[in-house]
Amino acid sequence: MPQVKIIAKSFMDMVASLTAIKLDKLYNNVFICEAILRSLPPLAKKYVLQLLYIDIPVPATMMEEWVLADGVSKHRVAIDRLIQLRIFSETKDRKKQTCYSLNPTFQKNLQKHVISGGVLPREPMNANNANNAIKLPSLQELETYALQQWECFLLQLINSGQAEKLTGISSSMLKVFQRGLLSQRDRDGPRLTESGFQFLLMDTNAQLWYIIREYILNAEERDVDPADLISFLLELSFHVTGEAYNLNTLTDVQRNTLKDLADLGLVKLQQGRKDSWFIPTKLATNLSVSLADSSVRKEGYVMMETNFRMYAYSTSKLQCEILRLFSRIEYQLPNLIACAITKESLYNAFDNGITSDQIITFLQQNSHPRCASRVPSIPENVTDQIRLWESDLKRIEMTQAHFYDEFPSKDVFEAACDFAREWGGLLWEDSKRMRLVVKSEIHNQMREFLHTQSK
Amino acid sequence: MASVTSKLYSDDVSLLVLLLDTNPFYWSTTSIKFSQFLSHVLAFLNAVLGLNQLNQVVVIATGYSSCDYIYDSSLTPNGHFESSGTGMPAIFSSLLKKLDEFSAKDEELCKEEDNEKRVASSLLSGSLSMALCYIQRVFRSGHLHPQPRILCLQGSPDGPEQYVAVMNSIFSAQRLMVPIDSCYIGTQNSAFLQQASYITGGVHHSPKQLDGLFQYLTTIFATDLYTRGFVQLPKPVGVDFRASCFCHKKTIDMGYICSVCLSIFCEHHKKCSTCGSVFGQSKLDEASSVANKKRKAPDS
Repeated sequence: MPQVKIIAKSFMDMVASLTAIKLDKLYNNVFICEAILRSLPPLAKKYVLQLLYIDIPVPATMMEEWVLADGVSKHRVAIDRLIQLRIFSETKDRKKQTCYSLNPTFQKNLQKHVISGGVLPREPMNANNANNAIKLPSLQELETYALQQWECFLLQLINSGQAEKLTGISSSMLKVFQRGLLSQRDRDGPRLTESGFQFLLMDTNAQLWYIIREYILNAEERDVDPADLISFLLELSFHVTGEAYNLNTLTDVQRNTLKDLADLGLVKLQQGRKDSWFIPTKLATNLSVSLADSSVRKEGYVMMETNFRMYAYSTSKLQCEILRLFSRIEYQLPNLIACAITKESLYNAFDNGITSDQIITFLQQNSHPRCASRVPSIPENVTDQIRLWESDLKRIEMTQAHFYDEFPSKDVFEAACDFAREWGGLLWEDSKRMRLVVKSEIHNQMREFLHTQSK
Repeated sequence: MASVTSKLYSDDVSLLVLLLDTNPFYWSTTSIKFSQFLSHVLAFLNAVLGLNQLNQVVVIATGYSSCDYIYDSSLTPNGHFESSGTGMPAIFSSLLKKLDEFSAKDEELCKEEDNEKRVASSLLSGSLSMALCYIQRVFRSGHLHPQPRILCLQGSPDGPEQYVAVMNSIFSAQRLMVPIDSCYIGTQNSAFLQQASYITGGVHHSPKQLDGLFQYLTTIFATDLYTRGFVQLPKPVGVDFRASCFCHKKTIDMGYICSVCLSIFCEHHKKCSTCGSVFGQSKLDEASSVANKKRKAPDS
């Protein structure tokens, strides 16, 4: 699924596209420095670490010697990324050689981190302080809450009517999120677009990033500085899951943001006797993990059988909707959805722009632990058949073409055929009735050629 | 192998098992103090943990007569820093506390043993097998695990009596495809560590200046297995392949090898102490006649 990667990666592109002043301001925050370090490609991480305690600029030629011959392209990618993010700055030394040095603020902050270890952005609630404390939810509860909230949001996103309980996301906000995913057609209501379908098949982290990205892009319309928002989101990911933090430690903007995030399931808000608290969930603390694209996989629920029947152990309405995208739901038990993959259901999916690869990856990623331990986790005959059905639809290849007939003589016709063959554009010829079809790319050349022939 | 690789994270997530040499006999002779050395190592651990949220670090202390786990980052999920007021994050104060307890216990055990003749080596074989056990447990549990590697930070000389145990650990690491990196900070060279890194495909390096240890550690040993495919790392100049004999635990260049079980001896024996095979004629000057006899044997 190439799309997923682009979406997950582009968050850093967004950071890189910030203005120099804003970026330098971001690096004053230790957590941003660390989050950004984690998001770098592995080779770039190594360079940063290697230069951490080197104060003088390092010649580019010297750095090139650090990599093997077949790593040169990766080296270039790493250096480009570092310069883009203004972690490296380029200088010229006396011999006019290019040198790189680390951004001093970034360097200082990382040195501090390396020496003193990770510190928390803010103090968690002290559970012993009885008159102020709230009862913390267990990690299990918190995760259920987060997932519920997220699914609720997704359901509302794809089908505003179906969600049982509406989240507090304003409808204008929701419109922003739906922008790329739904196509608004007045006659038959909103419909999922191609990217909307693909969005549903992504894993939670990638989906989350898509939404967060839209949220940040939209920030300026709400009079919020995107840089502040980015720094707050990254900071949030360094909090400890399941601990409560005081809302009073936040600015007004951050508090407003937090309300939106609570609707997405990133944090849980809880009102204490005196203060309000927020408790980050796993979704929030995983934010900086998904920056680098190693996704944390959750347990799967789909069992695929060789007879094309599929059993999904799930109570979620959302997952049922997702399965409906490419399969026929046969019946539903309280904790089980039984469905079948049929030619019709798949044709339906292909019509909507879902590819066979996406379906197969989805099935593989979400296969039940029992099936996932088997190799292959999805029966081969099923994957083959899905691919075959897709290629069935692609049996006809379309080529734009032009048709010529009524040639004045056999000679002209044959010359024209040869000409078309030379250009590699001859598709069909009928020498008896002197007709031929050529690709439309060479139509112009063909016309000129025929003009010269007729003279 | 497909099932194993599919269980790995996609890129550079690593599990680093660090074997820390705490042998008091070694540290009493060095120019650099143990505390200085430790501050380099702690900074290095911080750096490794900082590179990726999923990175995991386990530290095993290698003492004179025992070894033990002293730190496991997965047990303190990033957080739970109780501010202890010492200005040091709790993760490392817990490491230091464990280290103190460990060295006290190690000292006691050392006193109980009255093996005066032993070289002042540390129990490398023990900590290597502990590291491998830990990695094996990681392999077997859960559906996704980081890529493991072992780093030996060793200063004490090799203990020839541990030869068999160390070699066995090395071979099982090779089977598990776990590279053993080694950073030897002592004055002599360590044949064990050279062989370990050579056989398992790890990196061996002995830094010249110990006050720059952090730079060595981050430059060479912080490199994750994925990145190793395309960066320059120190290559082995020469590997000391010498073995220890099974009878007197001496390191030898040349010796006798049992033709059945490949046990190594420094002098001639009538019978192999490992597999019990009976050897024939002994003396070197009769070697030719032995060879003749053997050659004749199939004919008769």
